[in-house]
Amino acid sequence: MTDSHLAQSARSARLQQLTQLATNQSTILVGVMILLTIVFSSLEPKFLSALTANNILTDWGSVALIAVGQTFVIISGGIDLSVGATIGLSGVVSAWTMANVLGVDQTIKGGEASGALLIGTLVSVAVGVLVGLTNAFLINRFKIVPFIATLSTMGAALGFSVIISKGAPIGSASNFALISAIDPKVNPFSWAVIVVIIVVVIVGLFLHKSRFGLYTYAIGSNSFAARAAGINVERHLTKVYVLSGALAGLAGMYVYLRLGAGSPSSGTGRELDAIAAVVIGGASLMGGVGRMLGTVLGALILFTVQSGLIMIGVAPDWKKVVVAVLIAAAVAVQTLQSKNRRTA
Amino acid sequence: MKTSKTVFAGIGVLAAASLALTGCTAAAEAPAEDEITIAFVMGAESDPFFQAMKVGAEEEAAAQGVTLVWQGDPKNYSAETQIPIVDAVLAEQPTALVLIPTDPTALQPSVDKALAAGVIVANVDTHVDDLSKVLTFITGDNGDGGAKAADAIAEQIGYTDGESYEVVVGLTSPTATTNVGRLDGFTAQVESKYPGISIVDVAYSESDPEKAATNVSNWLTKFPGLDGIFAIDGTNASGAAAALESKGLVGSVALVGYDAYPDNVAKIKSGIFTALIAQDPAAEARLAIKSIVEYIKTGKTSTAAEVVIPNVTLSGSTSDADFEKYTYVAN
Repeated sequence: MTDSHLAQSARSARLQQLTQLATNQSTILVGVMILLTIVFSSLEPKFLSALTANNILTDWGSVALIAVGQTFVIISGGIDLSVGATIGLSGVVSAWTMANVLGVDQTIKGGEASGALLIGTLVSVAVGVLVGLTNAFLINRFKIVPFIATLSTMGAALGFSVIISKGAPIGSASNFALISAIDPKVNPFSWAVIVVIIVVVIVGLFLHKSRFGLYTYAIGSNSFAARAAGINVERHLTKVYVLSGALAGLAGMYVYLRLGAGSPSSGTGRELDAIAAVVIGGASLMGGVGRMLGTVLGALILFTVQSGLIMIGVAPDWKKVVVAVLIAAAVAVQTLQSKNRRTA
Repeated sequence: MKTSKTVFAGIGVLAAASLALTGCTAAAEAPAEDEITIAFVMGAESDPFFQAMKVGAEEEAAAQGVTLVWQGDPKNYSAETQIPIVDAVLAEQPTALVLIPTDPTALQPSVDKALAAGVIVANVDTHVDDLSKVLTFITGDNGDGGAKAADAIAEQIGYTDGESYEVVVGLTSPTATTNVGRLDGFTAQVESKYPGISIVDVAYSESDPEKAATNVSNWLTKFPGLDGIFAIDGTNASGAAAALESKGLVGSVALVGYDAYPDNVAKIKSGIFTALIAQDPAAEARLAIKSIVEYIKTGKTSTAAEVVIPNVTLSGSTSDADFEKYTYVAN
């Protein structure tokens, strides 16, 4: 009795420790954001403007959605490599449906396009859910490790998007007002970005305030213990991968809105941006650790670096170097912090 | 022509079977000449340019009665993914290889390997460093296409000497020879004919239209008085068009794109593109296959070592017939 009590208090102390660590990580990330903003705007004064903020937020939107899903997957101890390809596939299927089933061509614009775009969104999310279900099926039924399972669905999604689109972007209904800054000079937010923020907040609360989130952490920390505690691990993982897929489908529609077309080459390599955002945000690829705020800030940092480098006229290849340094630094900070705590 | 033991045995069985069926002795040696297999390894399946090329390749292969093996990465235009594909295709011992090398240096060893194995090699669109043993190199005139893009931008902005103008160029990768050729042609034309135009920046999209849109959005912030954009391929064209639409700048910045993707051709008519420079990928593929078959059958080819197929400018004044002819179609 006292033993289990001790174990429990040790566990809650450890949980507190982890929470603290993650909070620190977020503080550091805000510091990095401020530092980057100071550096870039001192080199290019135009960087400090609503226009730049809009550019960064617009880029952030699609990756934020898949990074938020990826946060759940990584905390559960898995990885989802299929999200980038799902962006391309869901955008293509959605565009194909709007163009060929609804018969809507690219001359349908603005408010007129709302009906088609709404149906397009549903189709896009449905495609994402289907990819997520496939991932979960491969992982649960055939015990394929998530890396390989999602790598194969990634390949299949790539292939299907090229087959359906015949390689060319499919143009259909568009409404660029949804993706443009509400007031370019003052308000950098677009309606699409506001929707992304709402989704991120809801899913974030889901992770940190619900039993669903708690189970995700439990499975990622120790799936055997989670199973012993009565959690249906398979069913829970299915939900996690379906969530990740659905968010990737939503991201596919976001990119569609941005381009006014569904392109099979959209989303290329975006899964790596998402994973980078999650890791920079303080999650551990070993599972069990991670915060939604960290992921959101991590993604914001990625695109601040990207916009900043273009604005100061540095070769875009440097973005990769900067991101690599940030990832290494984020992991190093984590290791140092946990070592300090253990010795203290 | 090299044949593996299995293929050889297979041909033997087929020949024996046809002999048994027809009782005709002449059939015995015919298969050796008829079994022409042409492997065609292109850049990225998801690019409509290669889809249009595939249409031309399949038509010509059917017309010539040869087997076509069409291969390439589904999405990534990169040497890392292309090299293993070329290796795998060569393991099948084709008669000839038509290659669109994604990098002139990185694909050279693969071409050397093919030549050493007795495979006839042709390059289409882009080329490897050493063309001395390559049968022919057929390409669109990228330099000329770049120059035509400069002319189209100058016309749209109403270029006058003494004024100064800012333009940017969106590329896909710093090494693709088509990108380099177009940029060189564009730069040369600007320097000689339009000295008032300065190319203020270039950036890479890595084949992702969303990244192309990102580059253009940031440029529009950095250069508020931007006069023109040269989007060097279809991906950049799609991204740049979307960025102008979302910033509400259609018509106030001259946009000249490359490649006649159907979706982009429609945007010439709605005024988003000033012009599109189109190539004729199907014609390139047809000529490559025709030259190879001619070489196999006669030991020489009438095709020159380097063939340049001119590009055309599609704009608001282009006839519907030309729009139809040059728009990239897929099967």
